[in-house]
Parts: sequence; C-alpha cells; structure tokens
Amino acid sequence: MTSTAIWKGNIHFGGIDVPVKLHGAVREERIQFHLLHRRDHVKLRQQMICAHEKVPVPVEAQARGFELGEGRYLLIDPAELEQIKPVESRVIEVHEFVKRGRIDPLYLERAYSLEPEPHEKGYNALVGAMREMGVEGICTWTMRKRSYFGALQPSGRILRLMTLRHADEVIPVKSLELPDISLSEKELKIGGELINQLTAPFQPQKFGNEHQNKLRRLIDQKVRGEKIAILPLRRLKPTASDKLLQALEASLKKVA
Amino acid sequence: MRKASEVGGRPLSLSNLEKDLYPSYGFTKAEILEYYRRISPFILPHLKGRALTLKRYPNGVGEGFFFEKHCPSHRPSWVATAELPRHDGGEMTVCLVNDLPTLIWVGNLASIELHIPLARADSPQTPDCLVFDLDPGDQAGILECARVALILRDLLLPLRLEGFVKTSGQKGIHLYVPLNRKEATFADTKQFSKTVAEALQRNYPDLITAKMAKAERIKKVFINWSQNDASKTMVSVYSLRAREKPFVSSPISWGELEDLAGQGDPEKLFILPSAVLSRAEKGGDLFREVLVKKQRLPYS
Amino acid sequence: MKERPLVRRPLPLPLTGRDETAGQTVWSGTISFSLVAIPVHLVKAVEPGRVSFRLLHNTDYSPLLKRMVCPKDGKVVPPDEIVRGYEIGPDQYIQITDEELDSVSPERSRTIEIVEFIDMEEVDPIYYDHPYYLIPARGGEKAYLLLVEVMRRTHKAGLAKFVLGEREYLVAIKSTQGALSLITLHYSEEILPDADLVPDERGVEAGKKEGMKKIIGEMTADFEPDKYGDERRKKMLKLLKKIEKERTPVEAPAADGEAGEGPVDLIAALQESMRRMKRNR
Repeated sequence: MTSTAIWKGNIHFGGIDVPVKLHGAVREERIQFHLLHRRDHVKLRQQMICAHEKVPVPVEAQARGFELGEGRYLLIDPAELEQIKPVESRVIEVHEFVKRGRIDPLYLERAYSLEPEPHEKGYNALVGAMREMGVEGICTWTMRKRSYFGALQPSGRILRLMTLRHADEVIPVKSLELPDISLSEKELKIGGELINQLTAPFQPQKFGNEHQNKLRRLIDQKVRGEKIAILPLRRLKPTASDKLLQALEASLKKVA
Repeated sequence: MRKASEVGGRPLSLSNLEKDLYPSYGFTKAEILEYYRRISPFILPHLKGRALTLKRYPNGVGEGFFFEKHCPSHRPSWVATAELPRHDGGEMTVCLVNDLPTLIWVGNLASIELHIPLARADSPQTPDCLVFDLDPGDQAGILECARVALILRDLLLPLRLEGFVKTSGQKGIHLYVPLNRKEATFADTKQFSKTVAEALQRNYPDLITAKMAKAERIKKVFINWSQNDASKTMVSVYSLRAREKPFVSSPISWGELEDLAGQGDPEKLFILPSAVLSRAEKGGDLFREVLVKKQRLPYS
Repeated sequence: MKERPLVRRPLPLPLTGRDETAGQTVWSGTISFSLVAIPVHLVKAVEPGRVSFRLLHNTDYSPLLKRMVCPKDGKVVPPDEIVRGYEIGPDQYIQITDEELDSVSPERSRTIEIVEFIDMEEVDPIYYDHPYYLIPARGGEKAYLLLVEVMRRTHKAGLAKFVLGEREYLVAIKSTQGALSLITLHYSEEILPDADLVPDERGVEAGKKEGMKKIIGEMTADFEPDKYGDERRKKMLKLLKKIEKERTPVEAPAADGEAGEGPVDLIAALQESMRRMKRNR
C-alpha cells in the first residue's frame, strides 16, 4: 500500500540538511460525469475556438500573447519562456519559522507527506524540535519546473509540506465591500453562548460522503428505467434584523 | 397675470398660475408648482448635477409640446449651468436643477416633465446606473411590465445586482440598477442590458421582446436596453407626466409591486401627486439607494 | 498544481481568463444555525495570480475560447444543447438532469446548515481544500456580521454539509478579517494513510534536536506572505518589458460591435438562473 514518491529533495536550514521524499497526502474519488449533446447523446470534447471566425483552432495554429490593452497583444515565443524557467534544484529552503496557527487556511493549497530516507537521524529530530516549539517552517522549492512557496509542518511522527498561495492570489476582504452595521453587546453575548452550546470536538470521520452512495443509487434507478421523484427545493426565510435577538434567544432556549 | 414672488431667497416672476394645464382632470400650474415645491427634498438629489431636458407644455397636456435641451438664454443669473460637448464638436449650455428656486423656475416654464441623462454633467460618459426601460406594446399594459420587472429582479439577484423600480407614469415601468462606480461605461451597460433582454426574450418569447420594431411588440413588453446611452434621457423619478391625469413617475417597493401585480388591477399602478407626497413624506425616498449603492456588472 | 474549485454544474463554458469572474456568485442560498437563517452569496476567495497569457489564433490574432464541440461535425455546441451523462457502457450514457441531482439531497441544495461549531485549532490543516468567501444577500447583513464577530471572539468555526451540483461538500465556515470564509474540507476517507511513511526508528538524538531548536528559535518570525513574491511572475514581467521594447504588438480584429452577442459567460449564467427560476415557480 506504500505509494510511490513523486519527488525527492533536501530540507535545508541553518546549515542542516534533511533528505526527504514527497508523497501525495489526499486522494479524491468521485463519480464522473460527461458532457453530451442533447439530441444524440454524443460525448462532446473541449476545444479552443477562434473568437472571431468561430472555428476550432488546432494546437499548431495557436500562438501565445500577453494582452497589453483591448485587443492588443505582445506575441511571446515559447523559447523565450524557457529562459525564465526556474533552475532545477533539490533544496526545500526553509527561510523562517512561524508559530503554529498563524497561516490563514485561505493560503493553504495542497498537502504532501514527507518520507524520511532510511536511517536518517535528522528527520526525527526535526519533527520533535518543531513540535516542541509549536512552529511551522516557511519554505520555497522548485519542483517540475515550477517554484513553490510552502509550509513545513510536523504531524504526529512525520513531516508534511503544504503548498501555499502567494499573497496576491488571495482576494482581499476589503474588495467585498461589506456593510457596516452596529451590533449590540447583548446580541453578541447571546450569539457567543449559542455557539458555545453548539460546539463539539472536530471529528471529521463523523461526516462520511454518503452523498456518493445516494448518487450511485440514483444512477442505478435511472439505468433500470425507474422514474426519479423530483423533490422541491426549500429556501429558508431570512431572519429579519429586528428579530435577530429574538431568534438567538429562542435558539439558546432550544439547545440549553 | 404675473405674480412677483420669492422662492428660497430668489426673486421669481410666476405667470399664468391659475391656468389649468390638465384640462380634462383639472390641475393648474399653481398645483404643479406646489407639487414640485413639496416633493423638492426628494426629487432634487436625483436632478442635481444632471443636464435637464425641458419638455414644455405651454398650452396644457392636450396641446403641443417642445423639447429644450439648451438652457434658455433668458434664464436668471443664479441658475446653475454646465457646458456639454455637442455631436458637431461645439458645446451647449444646459440647466442643472440643483436647488428649489431653479425647480420652480423650470415648472413656471410649463416644463411639466423633467428628463435627465443617466450620467452627471461633469462625467457625461459615466452612467451612474443601468436602466431597463419596460415599455408595453399594443394589447399589453403595466401589469405585463410588472411581471417582467419581477422576473428581472429574480434574474439580477444571483448576479449580485439589486434593482429599484418606478412607474413611468405612463404605461411602463423603469427598473434602475445603481452602479455608482467611476469605471462604469455606457458600452458596458448597453451590452449588459441588451444581453439580459435577449436572454429574457429567448426564455419568455410570448411575454418579452428585445426588438424595437412595433410589430414585434404586440402583446409583449419591449425591454428598451438602448436607453443606456450617453445621448438618451429618462424621465426623472418624481416627475409629473403629461397625460390626461397628472400621474407621477413614482418609486414603488418590490413588495408593493408584487402585491399590485397579484391583484391584477392596473389602475393601482398609476399614482397621483397627492399619494406620492404622502408616501414620500411618511416613508422617505424609496429611490435613495439608486444614488449611493455601489454595484458592479459581472462579466464585463 | 491543479486548482480544485467547487464543481457547479459541469460548466460547459470555462472562463476565458483575466478577471471576468471577479465578484461572480458561485452559489446563492441560506446559511442557518439553530433558528437563525442568513441569506448569502458564495464568491471566490482566491484567484490564480500568474501572469496570464491568452492563446491566440496565429492567423488573425483573435483570442481563443474554450468551448464544447461536437466530434461529428466539429461545430460548437451552445450551452442549452449540453446535458450531463453518466457512462454505463462503451459510448452508452444515461442523462442525469440538474433536478434529479438536486433531489438527491434537496434540503442541502439551498441551505448550508451549520450542525455544530468547532475550535479552529482542532482542525488538521490537511483537511482544508478550497476557500471561498460568503457575502450577505439582501436582508442578511446584520445576522451575517453577528456571526462574523461572534466566531472571531470565540475562535470557533461552523461545520456544515451542502450540495452543489454533483457533489456534497463538508465545509468549515470561519471568520476572516471581518468576513465569513467558507473552506471546503476533504472527507476523512480522502486523506491517505501515512503509517508507511513513519520512520522505523523512534530514536531522537537529543543533541541534534536541541541544536535544531536553537536555530529554529533564531529563525522564528511573523508570517508575512507578502515577502514571498512569486519569482516566476517577477521574471516574467521583466521579460515582457524587454520584449515590449523590441517588438510591435499585434492587433486582434475588432470585437463584434453592438450587433454582436453579449459575453458568452453572462449568457450562460443568465440561462442557468432562468432555468432555476422557472423550476421554482
């Protein structure tokens, strides 16, 4: 059941090197659907279409352009892009350490598990040191001709590497233009109590993906030619702002 | 026949006050000026800084009228004006109705209807809002417009756009989508409203058309998207209309529109000055958000 | 690395780049906890920030758009002629409609019901998948802001399940700088076991560990993601500046004017909304 490593490298910081192998940490399995043409159920394919002539354009007739302004492009030769490819290296360079929990989950992209090289002493020491200090390492590395920015984290007895999004990829909250409405301390207090009442330990195992099974049953029913009952969608009535306190109090009474 | 008067500290000579400008109903120029005086706190923010097109009915609503885009040269010195570029490259002087005296002066010219563009005079290429001008064709009426307005509301909501409605004071309904962003362009608002109108026409072919041709509009509501243009004007909210009765282009809440559309009585969607005044004085300006709410058109 | 955003319907019209999608609603509905219901829109929280190139046709320099094409005649298939199918044999599909998908869990298709709250610290970061923001819809502003502030003060996050198109998501809803963010979570069965990766030896060389702790202590700082700009992007912009001096840009034929169709993505979004509206009436 051992997965094969996808990449090998060295964690490097302050004169220390710890060799590791990367493994994917998450795998998603889901029912796959296809897009069909309504009239004959032929499977459609995705293609690049010329916006002007509306015809498919094969790969050999595609050029790459950087948009300077409305409809004005600078043509770029693939060889030119080759020049700026990052230099291959096997180093996961740790630049600094930050206290655990300081990275907003919005930054987290994808998780990898790191496998130690056999008989490597530094791995256990690093896991222990980071765990005892409650830190994660901020690092950069180059993998498959792309440079990455990430966080090195201890998890149980192993190390994990999470790739991070760059700061300018996260849309600032300011741009959401949220309204500003004052809340009373009473509403906040009761809201807080309600949330505390509804708090439970995080146990993700409790939440299975039973939807996949229901979906499979639906498909089986369709295959057998059974009719599917279409159920109406329910939309809740929003709690009016002047009824908010009342709703919170009633909720608290219900759960307490 | 002339009466020397003072409005807001400005001397004004008012003329023909007793003249009935709505002869079949009975509504004199004095009553028109009184309506505009009392509605002024609500209408002025909407007129402010926008080039006014006067639509004058010197002999009343049954008779001829003339449009005046230029600010008359006989205007009092205190009337605010702006210079707007003309198609031929020159400039023209337009009136800005920024205060009560100007509003009364304009009314005194028998300019019953007040028409304004969707952009302010200092940024004539930047629409503050997008408008869906719902205009019923033959054998259709305001109830069909109300239905279309409600469909539009539900369609715009998932696009994060909130709209506000007013009656046209004639047979139509105007739905305004405030933008209030300096990035807005008429090219974008026109394209957006046209795309929406055409999509609605495809989905509700028996009710809605996006085509101007009269024959296309029989029994249907024409969504006039082409109003989203720097050269076009719309009748201002709270303006009187020159019909047989002095109906007002009145804002109306979505709830009311739903109720009235449900009751199926078109008459209730024609609103007279007295009702407009009591609604505004009690409930405030239902169209206020149109002036301040910032929204962005998606996909443009 | 692959972006894995929520799968709304299998969107037949992938977006064509730039920020045409900024502010676009992914989903609209209600979040509820206990007896409080808050109407919200779900919008993007992240945008791949790489220097974006457009693919062009090398004959007329028109931009290229990704479209679904019929393999038989090579023609573009408009969105209203595209349906979803499940493969039951070679070239044999059964059609599954949106209504049928929604009926699998109708109560979760319009409502994100927070079933319980959790302490943020307890969530292993490996569970986090893709982030979004929630913004209040009309009438929900106050209850929304209350939830933001209360979760900020208590350092809690709401846990919920909801269905969007073909999938059901387990999500965490948390307070982020005055807004609500929604992060889809992996199911625990999707987390690969790592028992095989654990080192055989348990031993830790105390000296080695203490030495590392000393270095780590010296290297500890605040998390400031701005410091780590994307090197590739910087190099790319430098390269583009250089090329711009040497090369004349090409021009695409003028976009269709007023007579033309509106943006295809808007048309698709409108079509989708209308289909849903008609169904709910």
